[in-house]
Amino acid sequence: MRTIRLQVNGQPVVREIPDNRLLVDFLRYDLDLTGTKEGCSVGVCGACTVLLDGQPVSSCIVLAVIVDGCEVTTIEGLAQGDRFHPLQQAFIEYGGFQCGICTPGQIMAAKALLDGNPYPSKEEIQTWMMGNLCRCTGYYKIIESIQAVAKGKVAP
Amino acid sequence: MISFTYLEPVDIDEALATLARYGDEAKVIAGGTGLVNLMKQRLVQPTYLIGLRRLAGLSGMHYDGTLQIGALCTHRMIETSMLVRNHVPLLAETFRQVASVRIRTMATIGGALAHADPNQDPPPAFMVLDARVRLRSQQRTREVAIGEFFTGYYETVVAPNELITEVVIPSPLADSGATFVKFLPQTHDDYATVAVAAQVTLDGDRIAEARVALGAAAATPLRATAVEDALRGQVPTPTVLREAAVLVADAVDPTSDFRGSAPYKRDMAVVFVRRALAQAAVRARAGRGTA
Amino acid sequence: MANLVSIGQPAGHVEGPAKVTGRALYTADVTLPGMLWGKCLRSPFPHARLLSIDVSQARQLSGVHAVLTGVELPEVRIGRFLLDIPVLARDRVRFVGEKVVAIAAESPDIAEEALTLIDVQYEELPAVFDPLEALQEHAPRIHEHPDSYTHPPIPEAFLHGGVAEFFPSIPNVVSQVFYRHGDLGAGFAQADRVFEHTFFVPSVHQGYIEPHACVVSIEPSGKINVWLSDKTPFIARSQFAAALGVPEDRIRVNPVSIGGDFGGKGSLMDSVLCYYLAQHSGRPVKMVMTYTEELMAGNPRHAAALTLRTGVTRDGQMTARQAKLVFNCGAYGAFTPLHTVHGGVHAGGPYRVPHIEIACLRVYTNTVPAGHMRAPGAPQTIFAVESHMDMIAHELGLDPLEFRLRNVLAEGDPSPLGEHWQHIRCKETLLAAAQAARWSTEKPPHVGRGLGMYDREPGAFGPSSATLSIDADAKLTLLTGAADTGTGSYTVLQQVVAEELQVPLEAVMIIQGDTDTATFEVGAGGSRFTHTAGLATLTAARELKQALITLAAQRLGCVPEQVQLQAGHFVVADGHSLDLAMLMAWAAEQGAAPLSRTGSYLPTGPVAITCFCAQVAEVEVDPETGQVQLRKLVTAHDVGTVINPLTHQGQIEGGVVQGIGQALTEHLLVQDGAVTTLHLGDYKLPTALDIPELTTVLVETKAGPAPYAGKAVGELSNVAVPAAVANAVFDAVGVRLTELPITAERVYAGLRAQEGRQ
Repeated sequence: MRTIRLQVNGQPVVREIPDNRLLVDFLRYDLDLTGTKEGCSVGVCGACTVLLDGQPVSSCIVLAVIVDGCEVTTIEGLAQGDRFHPLQQAFIEYGGFQCGICTPGQIMAAKALLDGNPYPSKEEIQTWMMGNLCRCTGYYKIIESIQAVAKGKVAP
Repeated sequence: MISFTYLEPVDIDEALATLARYGDEAKVIAGGTGLVNLMKQRLVQPTYLIGLRRLAGLSGMHYDGTLQIGALCTHRMIETSMLVRNHVPLLAETFRQVASVRIRTMATIGGALAHADPNQDPPPAFMVLDARVRLRSQQRTREVAIGEFFTGYYETVVAPNELITEVVIPSPLADSGATFVKFLPQTHDDYATVAVAAQVTLDGDRIAEARVALGAAAATPLRATAVEDALRGQVPTPTVLREAAVLVADAVDPTSDFRGSAPYKRDMAVVFVRRALAQAAVRARAGRGTA
Repeated sequence: MANLVSIGQPAGHVEGPAKVTGRALYTADVTLPGMLWGKCLRSPFPHARLLSIDVSQARQLSGVHAVLTGVELPEVRIGRFLLDIPVLARDRVRFVGEKVVAIAAESPDIAEEALTLIDVQYEELPAVFDPLEALQEHAPRIHEHPDSYTHPPIPEAFLHGGVAEFFPSIPNVVSQVFYRHGDLGAGFAQADRVFEHTFFVPSVHQGYIEPHACVVSIEPSGKINVWLSDKTPFIARSQFAAALGVPEDRIRVNPVSIGGDFGGKGSLMDSVLCYYLAQHSGRPVKMVMTYTEELMAGNPRHAAALTLRTGVTRDGQMTARQAKLVFNCGAYGAFTPLHTVHGGVHAGGPYRVPHIEIACLRVYTNTVPAGHMRAPGAPQTIFAVESHMDMIAHELGLDPLEFRLRNVLAEGDPSPLGEHWQHIRCKETLLAAAQAARWSTEKPPHVGRGLGMYDREPGAFGPSSATLSIDADAKLTLLTGAADTGTGSYTVLQQVVAEELQVPLEAVMIIQGDTDTATFEVGAGGSRFTHTAGLATLTAARELKQALITLAAQRLGCVPEQVQLQAGHFVVADGHSLDLAMLMAWAAEQGAAPLSRTGSYLPTGPVAITCFCAQVAEVEVDPETGQVQLRKLVTAHDVGTVINPLTHQGQIEGGVVQGIGQALTEHLLVQDGAVTTLHLGDYKLPTALDIPELTTVLVETKAGPAPYAGKAVGELSNVAVPAAVANAVFDAVGVRLTELPITAERVYAGLRAQEGRQ
């Protein structure tokens, strides 16, 4: 057991956890933040994407003990009350999701992209998002949603 | 997930002491992108996990004629570093092709080398650059040439009480061009069916030296010395490159797996060695190194 | 049709805010007080007798609350139609991955550890993995007494005039179906040439990102609360009740969002087992399959071996077709809701084939039990049909487009099985695709174009029902028993209500009820939802509208016939009017609010309309490596009124990329009976970098059975892609692949063989 102290969505969190706790389970079951999903469990599909100090990681293969002292951002941290993040708004307007299970991961990955590169080309979007699998959309509308935000077409 | 005790040493001395103390019962973890999956599948079951992420001094890079990359630098750091892009662009080109961005933000260069997965991308690039790996134990520090680092399938020279601390990369020679080519016939998120790193150094219009290394082509990454020898002093015409590339067929020992049968991989090694050499030669002529 | 306001709007999913914020509830998100975690030990052998199971050490592990083996459970078999799979294996295991022992423990870690403490002794039995071998007399019999398995009668609507039987006297055959039309012998006699080709299609997985999950909680009253990833909650309730031998109202299936279905989430999967763990432990239990378990023991698409024999006249008219389709059922038939995979009916393609016989066999083997996946049986059948068409065209020296144009169905033509469809737009759709793909223009070297066609009727089975209510604030709520699988189904219903009641979309809320509160809804599947659930909703909306008109008439002091709903106002000829808000406020004062009506729809039979899809793939083949780059894809669709262009297009795009996976990258590899592609690193789903430039062409006709003359689109765009790609590869480099997926290595082998012949 070990106590970790970190920021989650801007709020301080202190918890005692078993050493073998995975970050995805810590978020979903210790903190009741079930917006982060688990798909493949091996770090490939990206459904479990969260931001660790602003960088996208596969939370299903990150040990929670390692995020002590870090800042974790999950999908729950994006909207400000009723005000959606432009990516959330764009995904609704442009059809960037269908079943929604990969969507939190897609949006977190896209956020990391735009935070570092606000005007990515279509190819840069595809390359960055390549690790986030979607089975419903075929990706076209995910790319369009991200492009819409980059082009300033989404009202905040 | 199995149970284990996680230890987090505050500095490298404590890390080495802990490693020495627990021996076989311990495994070291940096980014965990390889190890956590192995533990989930119960293929590796350490009693102690020694976390290295906090170790100071191992996640820096500096350049003083050679490029030194700390073992805890992530793939993403190497991919985006201006030092790397300016001095050894082959590494930036290679590292950005590894897996997905989420893996690259966590996976460290030390972890990748120690894991020694024969299908991974960086080792052939390191081989072509004649990189050296620095290792430390409580007793000593040593440097191992990358060509001697990998000893077998998922096996390296790293002793149980040793940690990788840095990778040292000499600057590429003048009038060199290099490239890393990763053959992905399935989807874009995959290990290579075959990967080739090639560097061509010109002397006038002749090849002074060629270096060719392959990944995913044998139990360890390998230098195709027969190909290199055949190219020395030659003008890199398409015919010369084609005839040299054919020699790689006897050097590789690929495994049949989801990414291709052994005979196919062998044939592809020939194709991609030729293509990598051609691209490296073009870049050498352009005098720009890699893009 | 009058100007539509909400219909035809590219409205975002009504459940969008929940999904983009992570608030949408999926089964694995459900946590209950005292909940335990269930895990299973699975067979490592494809066929074996269970000699002994020692769970004593597992039982003793601290934190373990229940350990179950097959013999401790009632001897019940479950399934979607054929009830042949036990809840846990009893005396025998029939595939690698079959569940043998189940554990409920305080945490997944403890449950996993407990599994390692179990000792099972097996006696291996001879196994068979290939359905063609399983048919042979000497093959091991996988089920000793299949006649003892029960199933409902085979529905007439799915017979297409053919004959079907379960368990004919052929070794290991689950079902044998014949579809016939005309006189095969006469048809072949009329042919100038006869061609026969055989094709192989391996299994692929639905690839939904959410693995199956279930939570079962038994209340003190005996009420069984279930959450599960199943897109047919009412069917699930009825199957569950039958499995336990309890009345249906003892079970409540609770609403959850489903993280992808594609046909693969219509069974009880682990939920009955989960119930027994809950019963034995006295605690709620959650079971979530790992993705490895999904790949090993989900219910993937049937692998198939398909032989087509076709007679043609010298000027390229087809006269007869004989099709022999063998589908690999896997070890159990429990995962399909029918006797066979229906897609075999498409073996004639969208063509005039005056004489046809289609034989479909579904065969047991010791491999993972197969189920339903987007257009079940169709990608396999159409890969064969459309490749065969091109191979014949090539032999006849005809352009593949020209050969198809000579044979495609025209208005008034009967289908190959003698069905009569209205509004046949086959040729128009084909030409639209060809034109958009610039079919006849020059191509660079190693670039090729290939065609593929498919047609599918909107599904017509039910019943569907929905309840529309309006409250004192004039807020409309549609209560549906349908589960949301992401297709935009709720939004379509929202648009239907908004259109009928002439309100903005935001005034209509959609709520998924549980099986106690909602009225019966058969659920999504077979491209039926917009059609049947749409019509049920339309009925509810129209009846509610009528009730509101009657109420307005009362308020306005006239008769209902004098009241019209115009732009959200109830108006009378004399100019008096009342808006919906005022009406409902008044109604509330009278005690007449809320007001609700339930609409239902039960189709009476298949619809006499089909939807055509024509696709052109453009590929570039690397002649040195065989790698196929799919550069462009055109997908042309014969559609009715499109209720929501955004979600409609989303279905087309998603289907195309699933087709690309089946064509090029996906292969559920089975070796010695065991699935070896056991995680998504090895089972390759297409990524955002693997998609072509896509052009969609809609050929619109205002005709169709769904509300406002709509059709269906969900199971069309994935089907012909593999054939179109195979045909394009042949056009590019002359290599014909008759087996999927079209891998670089296979194309390379074809190229080298070609060189060898030259």
